[in-house]
Amino acid sequence: MAEAEVEVRNPSGLHARPAATFVRAAGGFGAEITVTNLTRDAERSANAKSVLGVMGLGVASGHRIRITGAGDDADAAVSHLVELVASGLGDALDAS
Amino acid sequence: MTRELRGVPAAPGAAVGAPWIHPPAGTGGAARLSLDEAAEAAAVEIAELGARLRARGHEAEAEILDAQGLMAGDPELIDPARALVEAGSPPADAIHEAGERVARTFEALDDEILSARASDVRDVAARIIRLMAGEAPPRLERRSVVVALDLPPSVTVELDPELLAGIALEGGTRTSHAAILSRSLGIPAVVGVAGLRDAAGTAAALGLDGDAGVVVVDPDADATARLASAADAAGERARADAAFGERPLATSDGHRVICAANIGDPVEAAAAFAAGAEAIGLFRTEFAFAGRGTAPDEETQARAYATVLRAAGDADVVVRLVDIGGDKPLPFLAIEPEANPFLGVRAIRLHERHPDLLPIQARAILRASLETGRRASIMAPMVADEADLDLVLRLVDEARTAVPDAPAPRVGIMVEVPSAVLLADRLAPRLEFMSIGTNDLTQYLLAADRSNSALAARQDPLHPAVLRAVASVVEASERACGSCEVAVCGEMAGDPVGAQLLIGLDVDELSMEPRSFGAVKRAVAARTHAELVALAEAAQGMSSPAAVRASVETPA
Repeated sequence: MAEAEVEVRNPSGLHARPAATFVRAAGGFGAEITVTNLTRDAERSANAKSVLGVMGLGVASGHRIRITGAGDDADAAVSHLVELVASGLGDALDAS
Repeated sequence: MTRELRGVPAAPGAAVGAPWIHPPAGTGGAARLSLDEAAEAAAVEIAELGARLRARGHEAEAEILDAQGLMAGDPELIDPARALVEAGSPPADAIHEAGERVARTFEALDDEILSARASDVRDVAARIIRLMAGEAPPRLERRSVVVALDLPPSVTVELDPELLAGIALEGGTRTSHAAILSRSLGIPAVVGVAGLRDAAGTAAALGLDGDAGVVVVDPDADATARLASAADAAGERARADAAFGERPLATSDGHRVICAANIGDPVEAAAAFAAGAEAIGLFRTEFAFAGRGTAPDEETQARAYATVLRAAGDADVVVRLVDIGGDKPLPFLAIEPEANPFLGVRAIRLHERHPDLLPIQARAILRASLETGRRASIMAPMVADEADLDLVLRLVDEARTAVPDAPAPRVGIMVEVPSAVLLADRLAPRLEFMSIGTNDLTQYLLAADRSNSALAARQDPLHPAVLRAVASVVEASERACGSCEVAVCGEMAGDPVGAQLLIGLDVDELSMEPRSFGAVKRAVAARTHAELVALAEAAQGMSSPAAVRASVETPA
């Protein structure tokens, strides 16, 4: 069981491509990973491997999210995803 | 019987064609698939369509398809659908219902971007249903006007461009994705047409005027002839313009001018270069500030700017410091209500009250420059005199001290305040470039409020006074030994007549919307530099913008 919180800072939040980038990264881990949008509704969580689930959290720029993992590689998964979000989801703004 | 339906003009041009209503009734033609097979096939189709959009430079729409590709196999869509099937629901109804549930969740979140994504989910569900039913992808059989409530990008790009004459939508706005995509693909479009689908359902033919925002149901011979000839002329113009898209911006005797693009969002950069831009002459940065509750920090801004510098490669990118004011107030900038925001505390004038805004932005530009190894050009809007210029140069110096390893930026100003025109000889020697913003310059020079449609006729940048202002800025730059380049980034640069006059006035660069490249290049290539110089010289002595336009379109 691993857990961490991070603020989403890329301008469009976890919509469309940034959400897709996040979900693809989560899909690379065996652990069960969930995301919660603490700013909007701390009671509702979504499967981090579902783009519809993640988008449905309505994460906008400036929102805080919690990432929770359970399973063998949960620690690695959570720390990787937190870093990815903190860095603006890698190429989230890259048009190339 | 002919009748007209009014809507909102969304993309210019005219069209006549058979109505083709989306989604079409099924015709079969492919193997029926299971839910899982269909979901997988949908992801494959969507990826292919996304690649097609990306190849044509439509990055923003391609990104929508990237996300849709993931949605097709998403457990949040497929698992509830399977559960409904197990409970006895027909598979097509199950996936439809599952898609609706997700779409409604998105719509309930009261978030504009997410509400738009609801239609993306419905589009994916509809594609899976089509594949399960063994239906072939939608196909046009003849020249058609596509009719729909809304048309997802995935469908627009799937239809044969040779047969897609026009798009008419019952829903949508000028800024919806369907409208933006039809403009950039050059497909005439009208949106927001009430009663359209009912009327089109029984019609044999539809005409469409994308400039007037009118759909003609069953046009009579006269209307058909009128629309068809407008469509032919527009098509011919578009083909002729497109033939010039790849060529340099040059007169018939080889006098070259830099052809640059105006962009307002980082995702537009790649498309601008694909369309033939040699530089980004105006990168508006208001996108980074709009729609936010708090000011964007340095890192967020740097990432956005880096995207454009990276897409530009070795080409120049002119990043304009944010130009906001009382006409578009932001929650994190307390701006007092002003009687006339265009003459108010805007752009660099905000510095006194918001001393962090511009320094953060200047540092963000240099950080993007450092990160990408590309030199950036920084442009300050609303510079009126040397005191304003002192401030700008100080801001850039301070940013350079904070980010010492970044490549040295080029520094320039927008010339839009009339005082800057009169003082251009004082400003030019201290700058690397000046870019004339003809939209604001015209409203200030002629004291005609841009937002007042009653004064529309007084806002024509072809006015001899505006031409004289441009001439005097060019002259000031030449006296500064030509070390200060002169560009024009207003709408005038994208108007074939305006562009010819500006080249006749010897500006170094024209920066415009990429869709204007072809028309401007074609017009400029038809004349020699000497002819344009003579036209511009004569125009400065004329009595009205109309006389100027006529003299360039049909010279005596």
